[in-house]
Amino acid sequence: MTAFLVLLVGPLCGALAAIALPGRAARAAAAATIAATLVAAVGLAGQVVAQGVLRLELGGWAPPLGIALEADGLAAVMLVMTALVMTAVGLTARHALAPDTAGARAAFGFWPLMLLLWAALNAVFLSRDLFNLYVGLELLSLAAIGLVALGGTAAAFAAAIRYMIFALVGSLLYLAGVILIYAAHGTLDMHLLSGLDPAASDGLALALMTGGLLAKTALFPFHVWLPPAHGSAPSPASAVLSALVPKASFVILLRLWLDAMPDRTGEAALTLLAMLGAAAVIWGSVRAIAQVRLKLIVAYSTVAQIGYLFVVFPLAGGAAGDLPSASGAWNGTSMLIVSHALAKSAMFLIAGQWMSVAGSDRLADLRGLALLMPMSAAAFAMAAVSLAGLPPSGGFTGKYLIMTAAFASGQWVWALVMAVGGLLAAVYLYRPLAVLFARTDAPDLAALSRARQVVPLILAGASIVLGIASAGLFEILPVGRPQAAEEVL
Amino acid sequence: MILWTGPLLPLAALVWPLLLAALTALPGLRAQGVRLLPIAPLPALWLALAGAEEVTTAPDLLLGVTLRLTEGGRLLLGMAAALWCLAGLAARPMAGKPNAALFAGFWLLTLTGNLGVFLARDIVTFYVAFAAVSLAAWFLIVHDRTPRALHAGSVYIVIALAGEVALLVGLILGADAAGSMVIAEVRAVLDPLPLALLVIGFGIKAGLVPLHVWLPLAHPAAPVPASAVLSGAIVKAGLFGLILFLPEGAFGPVLVGLGLAGAFGAALWGLTQANAKVVLAYSTISQMGLMIGLIGAGGAAREAVPYFALHHGFAKGALFLCVGVMLAAGARWQRLACLTVAGIVAASVAGFPLTGGALAKAAVKDGLPEIAVTVLSLTSVTTSLILIWFLVTLCGPEGSGAASRWTPRLMVPALAGVLALAVPWGLWPVWSDHEAAYLLTPATMWDALWPVVAALPFALARLLWHRKSRPLRDILRDIGRWRPGSTGLSEGFAPAAWAARGEALSAALLGATGRLEGALIRWRVSGLLIPVVVLAIFALLA
Amino acid sequence: MTAILPVLLLLTSLLPATITFFLDQDRFRLRNTLNLGGAIVKVGLIVMMLLAVAGGASYETSIPLAPGLVVLLQIDTLALMFVSLSAFLWLLTTVYAIAYFGRKREQSRFFGFFGLCVASTTGIALSGSLISFFIFFELLTLTTWPLVAHKQDRASLRAARIYLLYALPCSVVLLIAIVWLKGITGPILFTDPPDLSQVDPVTLRVIFAMFIIGVGMKAAIVPLHGWLPAAMAAPAPVSALLHAVAVVKAGAFGVIRLVYDVFGVERMTALGLGLPLAVLASVTILWGSIRALQQTEIKKRLAFSTVSQVSYIILGAALASPMGLIGGLAHLVHQGLMKITLFFCAGIYDERAGVRAIAGLNGLGPRMPWTSTCFSLAAIGMIGLPPLAGFVTKIYLGLGSLQAGAPWVLAVLAASTLLNAAYFLPMLYRLWFADPAPEVAGDEAAPALVAPAVIAAMGALGAGMLAASGVSPLGWATLIVEREVAP
Repeated sequence: MTAFLVLLVGPLCGALAAIALPGRAARAAAAATIAATLVAAVGLAGQVVAQGVLRLELGGWAPPLGIALEADGLAAVMLVMTALVMTAVGLTARHALAPDTAGARAAFGFWPLMLLLWAALNAVFLSRDLFNLYVGLELLSLAAIGLVALGGTAAAFAAAIRYMIFALVGSLLYLAGVILIYAAHGTLDMHLLSGLDPAASDGLALALMTGGLLAKTALFPFHVWLPPAHGSAPSPASAVLSALVPKASFVILLRLWLDAMPDRTGEAALTLLAMLGAAAVIWGSVRAIAQVRLKLIVAYSTVAQIGYLFVVFPLAGGAAGDLPSASGAWNGTSMLIVSHALAKSAMFLIAGQWMSVAGSDRLADLRGLALLMPMSAAAFAMAAVSLAGLPPSGGFTGKYLIMTAAFASGQWVWALVMAVGGLLAAVYLYRPLAVLFARTDAPDLAALSRARQVVPLILAGASIVLGIASAGLFEILPVGRPQAAEEVL
Repeated sequence: MILWTGPLLPLAALVWPLLLAALTALPGLRAQGVRLLPIAPLPALWLALAGAEEVTTAPDLLLGVTLRLTEGGRLLLGMAAALWCLAGLAARPMAGKPNAALFAGFWLLTLTGNLGVFLARDIVTFYVAFAAVSLAAWFLIVHDRTPRALHAGSVYIVIALAGEVALLVGLILGADAAGSMVIAEVRAVLDPLPLALLVIGFGIKAGLVPLHVWLPLAHPAAPVPASAVLSGAIVKAGLFGLILFLPEGAFGPVLVGLGLAGAFGAALWGLTQANAKVVLAYSTISQMGLMIGLIGAGGAAREAVPYFALHHGFAKGALFLCVGVMLAAGARWQRLACLTVAGIVAASVAGFPLTGGALAKAAVKDGLPEIAVTVLSLTSVTTSLILIWFLVTLCGPEGSGAASRWTPRLMVPALAGVLALAVPWGLWPVWSDHEAAYLLTPATMWDALWPVVAALPFALARLLWHRKSRPLRDILRDIGRWRPGSTGLSEGFAPAAWAARGEALSAALLGATGRLEGALIRWRVSGLLIPVVVLAIFALLA
Repeated sequence: MTAILPVLLLLTSLLPATITFFLDQDRFRLRNTLNLGGAIVKVGLIVMMLLAVAGGASYETSIPLAPGLVVLLQIDTLALMFVSLSAFLWLLTTVYAIAYFGRKREQSRFFGFFGLCVASTTGIALSGSLISFFIFFELLTLTTWPLVAHKQDRASLRAARIYLLYALPCSVVLLIAIVWLKGITGPILFTDPPDLSQVDPVTLRVIFAMFIIGVGMKAAIVPLHGWLPAAMAAPAPVSALLHAVAVVKAGAFGVIRLVYDVFGVERMTALGLGLPLAVLASVTILWGSIRALQQTEIKKRLAFSTVSQVSYIILGAALASPMGLIGGLAHLVHQGLMKITLFFCAGIYDERAGVRAIAGLNGLGPRMPWTSTCFSLAAIGMIGLPPLAGFVTKIYLGLGSLQAGAPWVLAVLAASTLLNAAYFLPMLYRLWFADPAPEVAGDEAAPALVAPAVIAAMGALGAGMLAASGVSPLGWATLIVEREVAP
């Protein structure tokens, strides 16, 4: 129970402390919060493995009267993933957002916003109440918009405003759906909803909520806000935004469609989601190929990678949901979420470091940086391997599981999408790699210390190791999902 | 691991030269390696004299080496060993000259191959030995590195390789049909196609018309000792191949026809040449043609071919060595002495009564019909003719003169000549049904004598009819010079033009996506898209 | 012990490689010790296992990566053949590379990826299931890229790009084929081939074609061979490794696994797949040779020669007859020994004499006798002349083609021999007989460069001379066929 508390309240308190305390003390408070929350997340995951699903009914009131928090396997994995990325970002941001380099506003604003965001993420992952989720989402969006605006440039403000409008529209649509549900069923708890008979308005409610969540997840064609926002935020902020934020709304979608209202969905709608996902994969990749700025390439890559996740719907929902292959799709998607988070945060952190060294993130200016900073170049390459889904990496394992599920359930088109997406990813990630690797007259730049390069290396390495040693992940993941326990060899 | 089974001597006969070859590679011995050459064929000579009944195997070598001495093989092995030994003696003056070690090494390799051909019992060993003798001989041919030698080498290697390939394919076809690697079993089941391939492969080596074109280029180009073994011993490898693999009567008419064409044609064409070694080379083609014709004729004549080849090997070796000795001769008496030796050996080749050559011809005549005997006698006319012409050309160029220790040098061809004259006498009881007295009857003597006499007027006519000698026929010069140029074949999937076009295309496509993205980002569009998607989901859920 | 051996085998390359990455550039001694040590330990392990496996032992380890994704490592006779080749040649190449790079920069990166590359090759050899094979196959693609691009100049980067341009799409095709087949039959283990009798023949043919595209790209089957000549921009040790052991061999090895351990000879024959594959291999053999004739650079010519030679292996597999397979398997090793010799020598000519063009070879023979002798031996072996290893292959392939009822293959072999001679012999001629260019000065004052070439050439010679013995590649190939295929 302590873990729940620390996860939800800890970052909030930390955020407050970071606002209230002066510079150095603020960072110390943030560091302490990060450490405590990390410990709590890992501890909670351990408890989940040991005891199964953990439930906390606030004030002892069970739903529908009260609100319940629940940590199942997926939640535990998401929490640990968030904690890891946040810790890494925190370690990097200590230098990247020091007042003398990033300016006073960014240095001041980053810590509270980041901790606020963390609290919101934890809340979303642990909540099973639709309204609670709404609150979490709102908090999340606000903190995220703030982080974008920290960039301080005109472009960053424009991107932040665009993001804000999308986020608000999404929230409104979601809220409208929640209201319809409440009106029809009188409860917003996901577990209770899954046991109730469908109501006539459920279709519209689900459509509204989904539309809202899609806008927040930046699924094609609602992705337009994402690249400018992630491209112009300070790099540690971009890392958090790209690696974690879309996952929150996606997890809600996942629970909504597959757990809470599986009998309200249909093959056609599930397929539409996957088709949008496929379009995102292609479109995001092609757009990434067209970019000349590293951060934009990485941001468009997020658009594409989000697309992969949506392939899970026809593979684990609807008729295919009863097949043994469904658990493969589920496992694969979870794996993709985690490995993308690790790889993408590593990439943004590296991009930030290179920007600080080369003064720009245009590919032409990054020529030959691999010689100067071999460690971060290696990290970038490893992250690229994972994103392109090449073995051995978490990206490959996830993709392979999804492809296997696609073929096993007779929906091989989605396997082709994964395959083509991987190829396109290789193309857009190859360009920066080739530039980095090109031999030039040694650029007259000062390299960052190895200690600072090592953080992204660990993140990227983790996304690779995930492909080799993921026993732990797959031990936690099935907790609370009976069908996921059936293994398909 | 069993190193070998059966008698060791056949294996030793092949390994010993290779060991010597390894020795010549040692830095200390490089310059003097040539001095080892005469002792290299000694185990083989011993084997030929002692004989060996049983099969020798070395199961781990190559694909399992098996060796066996056949009757004909023993004869040719002995001849080759003795000739290589003598030629090795003749090569001693090369010691200390540039590239002598290379020459010695490949000499020994060629020797091993040559001996192996006569010993092999299975096709793989045979093929390896044959390839060794064919290809290693290339180094002997190009040794002088004159443009002429290098050109001859190019022509030789192209044709020899083609022969190797034909041989390999033929042998594989045969081995598959027989389900065995043993030559005797393969020979029993050969189809026309593999047979034809084998005839081509062996025919090239044996100088079968029209596959002989390399021979008049290559044999004269080599240093004299090498020419001697090329023309005396190495061509016999091809001949022996034909004897080994061709079943009785296979391709009989073809072989007889081509063989006789060679026997007459080459001898007459040789008359147009002025270089003694070239003339000898044509004589070799002529004699080999005769032997191939006899193989085609079959019967007892075919049986006696090894006996015939034995004589020819010694004699032709002696003649080539004489050329070398003549070049080294300074004084008039030396030239005369050399000419005498050459004359006696030439008479033997022409079949002058009581010579080894006469015995050889008498032995093969036995199984032949009347008409064939007449043709055989006619070939003796042309043989006599070309050999008389050889003696004339031998006298032609003045030598470098006054080599030291000239007399021992002359002893080498003289010894070979003695072997050519004498050994057939010794072996006559084994290879002929007739008593030795048959050879002394006037009829036999006359049969041997008249072709030589008949050749004299023609020879006189040729001497009087002086004409500038024709250049070497060399239809393969083009092949030797052929250099594959660019034929405009494209490279894989990434030619530059395609790449440029592809880049332009992808740039255009990317530009288009950029414009579309610009449209999506407008509020009007995205404002519309959100409700559209929501409605679509709703419609699909309902 | 038996379960850990395959993993140990992987680790002998993986560990030194990983540590190497973190070493400072100037820790020459430590780096060399690490890499040589790993290579020597590996060879030792393999010698130990060769004896055990010949006696009938086999080793197996499975490493679960995810539910439904298991890496299966096993050591059977076929795996061991490939592993011993790679381990032995890795040791040679390491010695060579250490001498080749001397005191140049960026060696940690090079040796790191070099070790990873060999680890992936080992993994490919040991893979016991298709998906394990794929994982290591891809890892090989990735770890080869930095090696090809090592010089980091324009040409190298272009070569590396072309390499990926070919490799990645083809591996995607391969992955789809694997997943597809797995979706139909369940996991595909080499020791326990799937039952394909119920599968639609057309589907099977399509899957087979996809497999061949995926695996054949690495084996440089025409028309997927364009990357190989381009990859010549890499440093000599890389070319040697690429052409002899790692990449092209992995492709050829994959074809063998596919034909014999996934589809099986009978199914192949029933589906009529052997003939098209044999034709494809034959076309590649001839095309590679013809293109080799047109090259004017040593390494380019050797590269096209590889294109041609590797397809001998595929031809052997496609013939689906015991003799043909023995020939193909033996050529896996034979070609490795001969080609690595050629590339070692090409590297020495480049390093010690500055010669890259074929025309520059004029007269180098007497000046660099050891190198040139090795080069000549290997070239003669490539042509298929006895007693070097190449002729053994040709005899077996020829017999195998007749056994399989495809006598036309003999014509291909014959034509290829002549073409090989046509592009190798002029090089030898230049080496030994042409007049040297006055400004070219070559020497061999680098024993660590020359020794690996000599050893490899001796290996090629020995493989031919002692072909019939049990320890030869041919002997081992026969054992494989007797044990894995014949019963």
